[in-house]
Amino acid sequence: MDLLRLGVRKFHSTPSCNHIIKMSRLRVVDNSAIGKEAMAEGRPPKVIHVYTKTGVGTIGDKVLMAIKGEKKKGILVGVKKHQPANIPKFDTNNVVLIDDSGTPLGTRIHAPVPHLLRTILKERTIAKKCDYSKLIAIAPRFV
Amino acid sequence: MAGICNRLLGLNSFKGLKVFESTVLQHGCDCFAVTQFSGQVRHKGPPKPKLRFPLWYLQKTRVNYPEKITPENREFIKEVGYEKFGPPAVISGISTFQTNSPLKDQPLQKGVWTPKSRRCGLITRKIGLYPMWSKSGEPVWTTLLQVVDNHVVKYIPPEEYDPARKSVVYRKNHSLGVLLVGAESCDPQKFTREYCGLFAPAGLPPKRVLGRFFVSPDAALQPGTPLGAMHFRPGDVVDVVGKTKDRGFQGVMKRWGFKGMPGSHGVTKTHRRGGNIGGGGEKGRVWPGTKMPGHMGNRTRYLRGLKIWRINTKYNVLYVQGLGVPGGTNSIVYIHDTCLPLRKIKDESKAPPFPTYDPSVDDDLPDDLYDPEIHPLDSPSISFEEAKK
Amino acid sequence: MLLRNIIQRSLTKVRVNVQLQLERRNATVASPVTLDENVVRPEAKELSKSDQKFNSLQQRFVYPEFLPNPTLEWRNPIREKLERIDMMRRRSQVDLPEFYVGSILAVTSSTQHAVSKQTRFLGICIKREGCGLRASFVLRNVIDHIGIEIRYFLYDPKILKLDVIKLEKRLDDELYYLRDALPEYSTFPEDMEPEILPDGMPIPINTTKVVMKPRPWYARWERTHFQGINRELMMTHVSEKMKMQIPLHEKPWEKYDLMKQYRSTIPEEEQKDIFAEVDSELHKLELLRKKQKRKRAFVKPLKSS
Repeated sequence: MDLLRLGVRKFHSTPSCNHIIKMSRLRVVDNSAIGKEAMAEGRPPKVIHVYTKTGVGTIGDKVLMAIKGEKKKGILVGVKKHQPANIPKFDTNNVVLIDDSGTPLGTRIHAPVPHLLRTILKERTIAKKCDYSKLIAIAPRFV
Repeated sequence: MAGICNRLLGLNSFKGLKVFESTVLQHGCDCFAVTQFSGQVRHKGPPKPKLRFPLWYLQKTRVNYPEKITPENREFIKEVGYEKFGPPAVISGISTFQTNSPLKDQPLQKGVWTPKSRRCGLITRKIGLYPMWSKSGEPVWTTLLQVVDNHVVKYIPPEEYDPARKSVVYRKNHSLGVLLVGAESCDPQKFTREYCGLFAPAGLPPKRVLGRFFVSPDAALQPGTPLGAMHFRPGDVVDVVGKTKDRGFQGVMKRWGFKGMPGSHGVTKTHRRGGNIGGGGEKGRVWPGTKMPGHMGNRTRYLRGLKIWRINTKYNVLYVQGLGVPGGTNSIVYIHDTCLPLRKIKDESKAPPFPTYDPSVDDDLPDDLYDPEIHPLDSPSISFEEAKK
Repeated sequence: MLLRNIIQRSLTKVRVNVQLQLERRNATVASPVTLDENVVRPEAKELSKSDQKFNSLQQRFVYPEFLPNPTLEWRNPIREKLERIDMMRRRSQVDLPEFYVGSILAVTSSTQHAVSKQTRFLGICIKREGCGLRASFVLRNVIDHIGIEIRYFLYDPKILKLDVIKLEKRLDDELYYLRDALPEYSTFPEDMEPEILPDGMPIPINTTKVVMKPRPWYARWERTHFQGINRELMMTHVSEKMKMQIPLHEKPWEKYDLMKQYRSTIPEEEQKDIFAEVDSELHKLELLRKKQKRKRAFVKPLKSS
């Protein structure tokens, strides 16, 4: 056991606090080719920008990620951060990759999605600019 | 013995102060503390005292020396007190006296509410915090303020009211009278006879807490009038005044929210210190108002524009918006109609109970009155329906 | 003289509380054998007088949120009374049954984000906290290989139904360590069949010892004394340096700190007063629940051919 652990680095680039900030690692939960490959390789995407005023992302926020040498945008669909009552707190920081118009790159999401996301994305949808209705449509189940 | 009876009845106890009762002068600022003021005396005649306490600023407590009273006499003193103030009773959760008819004189004539009227306030005790839920399912955190046995002690009309220190507000608006309100009736033996004498004209037992409210003359109340939580209605907006928790001498990080300095990287002995407090050269001094360590808390603070979400008429409890009411649990909080210009009542059709709530209007009040936005917990669970088109 | 009296009185109170606490520890932690003696459910049998006395002390485990926060500077009798009235009002609208940390619950609630729909979340209760109307609990489940936790206010009017799927206790008062345990320990199927405990049965204690995942962890579990963690297997993930630090963080004196226990508990006499106030209504609700339970438990007999 000890021998095995010698090869493992003891520090983590994701900070121990559960905020999603620059340099946080995320988990891609859709079936887009690039996301699947990155997760299979064991090199999950890294946040290089959070599109909020505070620089900290929560459910429904848009982030820019470095994934397999490319820059991709994504929507956070579940976070580790402490949440208020009735809103789920996930064990991982989940993200769904999207393109510039808000359409998801994959065709399926394989993780539960909070109900709250529906309201948030509805508010953030701008006609003919970014449309998140597709993302909501492919969500398999809400918690 | 005579002294005790005097205390009970409040007889002749006010002589020393009655001399300048007619010219009683109070400070005009809104705070409750008495401030010293020494101005230049330009008029002739005997000079007015430079430091004048308000009328109610009396020696309150007395030395609790052992009075050698026989048990029978002790009983007798109690009886005298009960005869005077009524038998002891627990009214809406507070032990007090069951006063029969406190109103000695005819009640003052009721005024008519106008948007410029200013009503009396209440003295409350902050009894805790708890959540309620709105009809849209969101938690509404409220502070519970209990109106503790409030009675009007004295009314000073604007003509007689002449504060020692005339504030700008006073000079501008000379038309406000003063209502002295007392809360929490007590055993008269605990207080000095001067203090008990303050309540004698109104036929009241001495009160533990006093408060002063500026009112317009049309909102004047007869001394002895009881005030309750129904002075306000659910949905009204109020201001609260209280003393914050005493936190003692504190550093800048706790007192002013400074960031402090790093824990390491060569920093020595300055981890929680404020750092620089001023520049040099022409302005080479510490500027007034610089944030520095010092005593924190135990200051009178206001919180304005709080909505009343619910009123419990049985225990006289007001459920006020938010968790930020100054002071700890069981501390005294003063509450009055808001003075925020945009949240004041301006519509005459929405006039509040004026000058105060008349309990003879409706007998069967429900125990709880809710704001229409609040979900009463005894109604069925919330379920969201699609809006009908 | 007076001071001595006060101190004596407070010390007797402490003693009572320590007794209560020990009892409680027996009830929650000790082996099931001792539990049989201590925990008798209220509907167990016809209650004699001594049993009733015992019963009112048992209520504090069944309805812990009726006891106020013991912090002295936050207490006020009238606020507590109003809070209890409100709690009973809510209980008259929705059935909030007895459950413990370790029980499996299903919460059906409505949300403003999904209009005219009901959501159901099933999971194991890993934490119960708060007093009065602010009482809350946390449910945990693993859905699609992702752990999910949701905190609910017990008296939230958005809760339409609270089902106890499996009534049982664990060895600990909080199960946050399930976050770092293997996912199989917090995975429960959504369509789990409710298990109805027969009347009069003591509440079973689940003595599973969970196996932890390798580090990193949410907390330093090796420094804690949770009974429900398989300590031997957990220690294989802990480095020698961390093992050396364990004794530095132990506080063996705390169990002898009588004043600490006194400050963190409500005296027995006060507990009795509090439950005397709500007992009759709670008993009524319990009878109603029993009636419904019997209905649910009734299975149509099969035709014998």
